[in-house]
Order: sequence, then structure tokens, then C-alpha cells
Amino acid sequence: MITYARETTLLTWRGLRAITRVPERLLDVTIQPVVFILLFLYVFGAAIQVHGISYKDFLFPGIIAQSLAFGIMGTGTATANDMREGVVDRFRSMPVGRLSIISGQVMGQLCEQLLGLVITVVLGLILGWRPSFDLGHGLELFGLVALSMLAFTWMGVYVGMVVRSSDAVQGVGFIVIFPLTFMAGTFVPIAKMDLIPRTIGDWDPISAFVATLRKLTENYPSSGSWPLDHPELAMLIWSLVLLGLFVPLALRRFNKGLAS
Amino acid sequence: MNDLAIEATGLTKLFGDFKAVDNLDLQVPKGTVVSLLGPNGAGKTTTVRMLATLLRPDSGRAKVNGYDVVREAGAVRRTTSLTGQFAALDPNLTCRENLTLIARLRGMDRATASARADTLLERFDATEFASRLIKQVSGGERRRVDLAASLIEQPELLVLDEPTTGLDPRSRQVVWTTVRELVAEGITLLLTTQYLEEADALADRIVLIDHGREIAAGTPAELKAQVGEQRIDVIAADTPAFEQLSKALADQGFETTLMPELRRISVAAPNEVLDLTRVSQAVAATGIAIDEIALRRPTLDDAFIALTGHAAESTDNQADDQAKELVA
Repeated sequence: MITYARETTLLTWRGLRAITRVPERLLDVTIQPVVFILLFLYVFGAAIQVHGISYKDFLFPGIIAQSLAFGIMGTGTATANDMREGVVDRFRSMPVGRLSIISGQVMGQLCEQLLGLVITVVLGLILGWRPSFDLGHGLELFGLVALSMLAFTWMGVYVGMVVRSSDAVQGVGFIVIFPLTFMAGTFVPIAKMDLIPRTIGDWDPISAFVATLRKLTENYPSSGSWPLDHPELAMLIWSLVLLGLFVPLALRRFNKGLAS
Repeated sequence: MNDLAIEATGLTKLFGDFKAVDNLDLQVPKGTVVSLLGPNGAGKTTTVRMLATLLRPDSGRAKVNGYDVVREAGAVRRTTSLTGQFAALDPNLTCRENLTLIARLRGMDRATASARADTLLERFDATEFASRLIKQVSGGERRRVDLAASLIEQPELLVLDEPTTGLDPRSRQVVWTTVRELVAEGITLLLTTQYLEEADALADRIVLIDHGREIAAGTPAELKAQVGEQRIDVIAADTPAFEQLSKALADQGFETTLMPELRRISVAAPNEVLDLTRVSQAVAATGIAIDEIALRRPTLDDAFIALTGHAAESTDNQADDQAKELVA
């Protein structure tokens, strides 16, 4: 256990070092939310009316949930690149725990995503977003966001190990994750969508995240399906399901060797 | 069987339909240097990756330092160091940081790790670029740091996968010198290479592989002997001289092979230097002008062509074949 903590710390340090050495990597994490904020706040925003809340306050929780989901792609790309550098092979050929190597990868990526999240939130505050919550809700928010980020990071690490290249991560992300973030009520209410996207949106895991963030920061409720009526619980369940699925998958994949 | 550092039997690895390694047997006695020699795509990298516990064999068994590579992988990792074909270092860390990180992961405290890194940087002539990022140093410099990283703790078995591929002569020399020093210290070495002269220069024993199978094995001298005996080549100064000389040598009872287009007369020389003296005296006695006379021993290149049916490719198709080996 002490060895595990020691090895993971050392390997996390390795991942964090990359941020200071290649600061452009942070741009990857922040450029997407910034583009969406500017696009929706100033291009489409004036034409979108949401009942009972200003569009700015409606938008920011959505953007944050979306950037959490995009973290899957970011982590996947970074992992796909990293695993091919050869250095991971050296760790694997050394007497270092497999779990430590992959935890170091997850922790490093998690920190990078967290930094991206902080930048997005700060930008939101500068642009006039005013979330309000008490201590209890703040802690709940922090816990749920951290847990979901952890789940998304494990998922991203797994995807990065399975696919053949970082381009493939981007491709899959664009086809699967991108539309899911749009149907999740990020930019417009799910209730006003057409039947098919509305049904998908009602059960989309990202919807639960968007709804949770909106509820906890703006006290703005969502409804239409069980996950939307109970967003915090749904977010917790989704996070645990993803962790339960992708932690073992990633470990198995890592032990078996990497994608060809 | 405690005197074997590597003992593999029937090692096989498939990638889809492609048999990368096909029923390979390999024995490496402790304290020796064995070279896996073969062209790109022959299965060298796949073999060493199985021995270093990075790939699980599809069938067959291997013991490294007495430990099974599948069931006792942890013990194999503790006693073996692999230096892979592509520098296994973090490009975003400095040379020094890479070494200290590996030392710390091997359980050393900060001060010990730092001291060990310094010692190795000095040994590998890498002190001057120690604080540059790996991605900013040359291929040869990176290779030296890579080798240093494998020696953070002196392993019982060191596996070097194509250690000098793509290196400049100076770095190549550093690698060769280090290998010789390590061998003098008693380390066991498995070395893969596609350079015949490298295997010839460094290895006690060579295992020639192609298409994942062993083609031949033996000492460099034994492999060369399989190709045929030594010959003495006499190159005549011009065509009339060639004709006169070939007749004169045949008259004296020498067994000759003629290549008129090269003006070359080859004489069988089972007694090496003794025969060289006899032939050169015979040539001198005729007074016929020659350009060159030399004792020619078969090279490993000859052996390679004779045994595999094709020449060793050194640069052609490299990217293509490396991609194939990356699959490993």
C-alpha cells in the first residue's frame, strides 16, 4: 500500500511535469469551452429564451458539464500518445505495480482536466456568471464533480489504450460524445426538442450532470424523466457505473498489453 | 539448469494470422553475450518483449534468471533490464529527471537516486546535456541516457533491442564500449541487431532468425564456417596477365576458380596463411603483374545470404517493418 502510494505519486509528478513543459496542452482543455461560451453567449444566446432564468445562468452549468464530458476525449488523446512513447513500456518492464502506473496516468490527467475546469469557471465568473449555493450544496457539488471527473478520466484512459491513434479518439469523440453533449440540454431545454433527441436527452448521462450543476448552482430544476427529476442521484449512479465498468476494463487492457 | 539466464522453448506469438515468433528455442548461459540477428520483421523485438514480460507468449515457455516469464513476472522484472528499440524515456522530462524518476521508482531515496543519476550521466558522457529535455537531445544522446536508465540498478540480465540502430558513429562507439565493460563485469546480455558486424564484434554466440524461426545458431566463427572455407583472391593487372597467371597456377597444381570479368583467380586456402605464402610465392615466381592478393574469410554477410536466401536489409523498408514490429 505504501509502495502503491509512493509509485503513484512519482508517476503523477511525471504527468504534471508535462503541463509545465508543454503549456499548450492546457489550451486543448480550455479552448473548447471558451469557443462554446463565446458562440452561445454572444452569437445564439440573444435568440434563445429559457423560461425563468437568464440565458447566461442557464448556459454556464451546461458548458461546465460539457467540458467534463469532453475530458474523455482529452484524456483519451493524451493517453494514446503517452502509451506510445515507450516510457510506459519501461515502467511495465520494471518492478513497478501495474495499478500504480495506470493510477499515475489517471491522476496526471485528472489534474490537467481539473485545471481546465478552474479556468472555465474563472472565465464564467469574469463574464458575469453568478452561481449561488450554500456550504452543503457546495460540498455536494464538489464531490459529484470530482467523482464524475474521475469516472470520465478512467473512461478516457481506457479509450486511449484501445484505439490505435489519437486521431481515432477525436473521430469517435466527435461522432459519439459531441452529439450527446448537445442533446443533454446543455444549450437549450430538452423539453423543447424533437421526439428522438428528447428521448435520448432524457436518459443521456450527460443530461444528469447538466441538470445537477444547474440545480446546485442556480437552483433551477429540470424534469421530464427519472434522471432529470433526481439529477444528483442519477449523476452519482452514472459515475459509479462508469467507474465500475472502466476501471477493470482499463486494468485488464493494461495487463494484456496495449492496442496494436 | 541454474547456469542459464534465458531458457526458452517453443516460444510462439501470433498477431492475428501473422506468426511473429514461431516455435523459437533460445538458451543464453549466464555471463555470455548472445545476439539475436535477423532482418527487420524477423521477430526479434517480439521475442525480447516476451522475455521482458511485456507480451504474453501464445504458446511455449520461457524462464529468465530462473523465473517463469508468465507466472513469476515480478521476479523477472526485478532481475532484468530492457532497453527497447525506441528510447523508453519521458520526452517532457530532462535527461537527469528521467534517471532520478526511474531510480526513485526502483525504491531509492532522493539523495541516493540523485547520486546514482550523476554517476551514470558521467559514465555515459552525458553530463553536458543532462538538464536538457529528452525531446531536445539528439538520437544518440537519448540512446545513451536510455542505456543509463537500464543500469540504474545493475541487472543480472540486460536485454538490448537494436541498441545502435540509427546511431551516429560516436554514440555507437559509446554503446559498444559500454557493452564490453558490462560483459567484463559479468553481466549477461541478450542483444538484438540487424547489423552483422555488430553481432560479430560483440556476441559469443549468434542466433540467426528470420520469419520468427531460428535459421542457424553458433559462434560467429561456426556460422562463417557453415558458408565455406577461406580462399585467396588474386586480381591480375590486366586480361593477358589474368590468362597467363591462371594457367601458371593451374599448372602448379593449385585448385582455382576463375572470374574473368573481375580478373580474379580464387584459390582454395584450407591452411589460411600458409597457403597465402605459397600462392604469393608462386605468383611472384611467374613475374606476372597483379593488382592485389588477399586472404578472404567468409563474412557474416555471406553467412546471412547463404542461410536465409536473402541479404540483410539495413535501411530499406525500415519504416514499414518497424511498424510491423511495433505491433509487438
